[in-house]
Amino acid sequence: MRAVLLLALKSAWARRLTLGIALVAIALASALLLAVERVRSDARASFTQSVSGVDLVVGARSGAVQLMLYAVFHSGSATNNMRWESFEALATHPAVDWAVPLSLGDGHRGFPVLGTSAAYFDRLRYGDRQALTFSAGKPFAEVFEAVLGSEVAAQLGYRPGDHITLSHGMAELGPEHADKPFTVVGILAPTGTPVDRTVHVDLAAITAIHLDWAGGAPLPGLAIPAEQVRKFDLQPQEITAMLIGLKSRGDVFRLQRHINGYRGEPLLAVMPGVALDELWQTLATVEQTLFALSALVVAVGLAGLTATLLAGLNERRRELAILRALGAGPREIFMMLTVEGLLVTALGVFLGAALLAAGIVTLGPLLREYGVHLALRPPAANEWGLVVSILTTGLLASLVPGWRAWQISLADGLTPRN
Amino acid sequence: MNAQVLLAATLICGMPFAHAQHKHVHGEGRLDAVIDEGSISLDVELPLDAVVGFERAPKNDKQKAALAGAEKILNDAATLWQPTPAAGCSVQSVQVGMPKFDGEHADIDANYVFHCADPAELKAIETTLFKHFKRLYRLETQRSGPVGQGAQRLTPKKPVLVW
Repeated sequence: MRAVLLLALKSAWARRLTLGIALVAIALASALLLAVERVRSDARASFTQSVSGVDLVVGARSGAVQLMLYAVFHSGSATNNMRWESFEALATHPAVDWAVPLSLGDGHRGFPVLGTSAAYFDRLRYGDRQALTFSAGKPFAEVFEAVLGSEVAAQLGYRPGDHITLSHGMAELGPEHADKPFTVVGILAPTGTPVDRTVHVDLAAITAIHLDWAGGAPLPGLAIPAEQVRKFDLQPQEITAMLIGLKSRGDVFRLQRHINGYRGEPLLAVMPGVALDELWQTLATVEQTLFALSALVVAVGLAGLTATLLAGLNERRRELAILRALGAGPREIFMMLTVEGLLVTALGVFLGAALLAAGIVTLGPLLREYGVHLALRPPAANEWGLVVSILTTGLLASLVPGWRAWQISLADGLTPRN
Repeated sequence: MNAQVLLAATLICGMPFAHAQHKHVHGEGRLDAVIDEGSISLDVELPLDAVVGFERAPKNDKQKAALAGAEKILNDAATLWQPTPAAGCSVQSVQVGMPKFDGEHADIDANYVFHCADPAELKAIETTLFKHFKRLYRLETQRSGPVGQGAQRLTPKKPVLVW
């Protein structure tokens, strides 16, 4: 048996080019299938984890998904702002337990800057209702103090005490608010949510850095030094959105209806969990199509393996005949071919998984900008299911050449006709 | 003519408000479910058309009977909604608001409150609305509960709200 195995290995090595190509096809196909599944489940998880504990997200009336993307994931843009009076009115509504204002629009070297209140750090929950924690420093207390998300700090190498300046707008080369630097006072522990990529400052600071600005550029001849901004009223006129937590879960629909029919201005209140589910509902068809396509690609890859093994049988007639003459039964020949196909499939799946891991390492940071965190982790249950089904299909695909070899090994003699 | 212009003007002016507030799609109902420590509150809005097949004041005895029949079914909360039996839920209150026929469309608004003895066992709520009202094709559901919020579309084939 061992001799047969050794012979089979050597035989496979002799045909390494054709088998190698079949292997590459299977590896790429399984990497694609596993990647689709991984992105699907991880995107869902990272979106859901970003908003636990928030009952309503409120902003100017636009689309629910658009508001969510902007307010929670800081991507895309708001069509409009909401008035500060509306924030105050809603924050003091009897059903509201806490309210946190959000003001977006500025950036720091490609990372979004969020103007908010210090309550944000106490109130925001992520994952399974975990609170934000500081890996260094503390929340901001002064106007020109900033708290960095873990990724901002890690990528730009900031520590508490460092000074940073904000730029107007999200572009990396936008005009700088250079005259009003911020001191880093705190760095948040990693959360795996958009918080990691955000620079947090006090809401008043957003007003302060725009005091001597108009229409997106500094006013010529007017410069208000940083020390003097406190003399001004730093209450903002407008904010981008707000997060609301309720005293009682039962009030959520009533308050949502109240806000959606708010008389002061057109507002939209979104239940984040509902909005995400609705988003997935719309994306379900796309997901299924992608999944079906990549499953087809795997099928094509395995069909290629079958074709390669079948085509190989012709040139291996003499080899198989010699094996037969040496005492190998048709059963051994059948086993040899089938196991060869299965091994190539298994190796292909393994390489595919490795390829996926490499892809996550290189492309993961790119996806993180869109709020999707792909973790480097061993395959989850659903992925093992896929691996098993690829292997099963590979086995089925290998049975065909095995069966064919069985047939010809019975009929073929040592003297091929050609 | 004048009445039509007035109606159109009212509709257009009311639109942004009405749209956010109140969506009326024939065959589609809405369900807001709150599951909160031992109690379930279900707010249902059904287009009258899906329930009885017309959307105006009843014109004859047959239509009146249809309305009365629908009201009776809608008041039978224990049959309409079946929470996980192990949770031991019982009906606490039922409010069914039949339409007043004063606008373009007519809706039925109903509220059901259940009290559950063993809320930890509560995992799902099944509805028999689709069995009673064949013109109802789906129920767009929003829920807020112990495991967070979510949206689900209930249909005659999938009439169970799960979380």
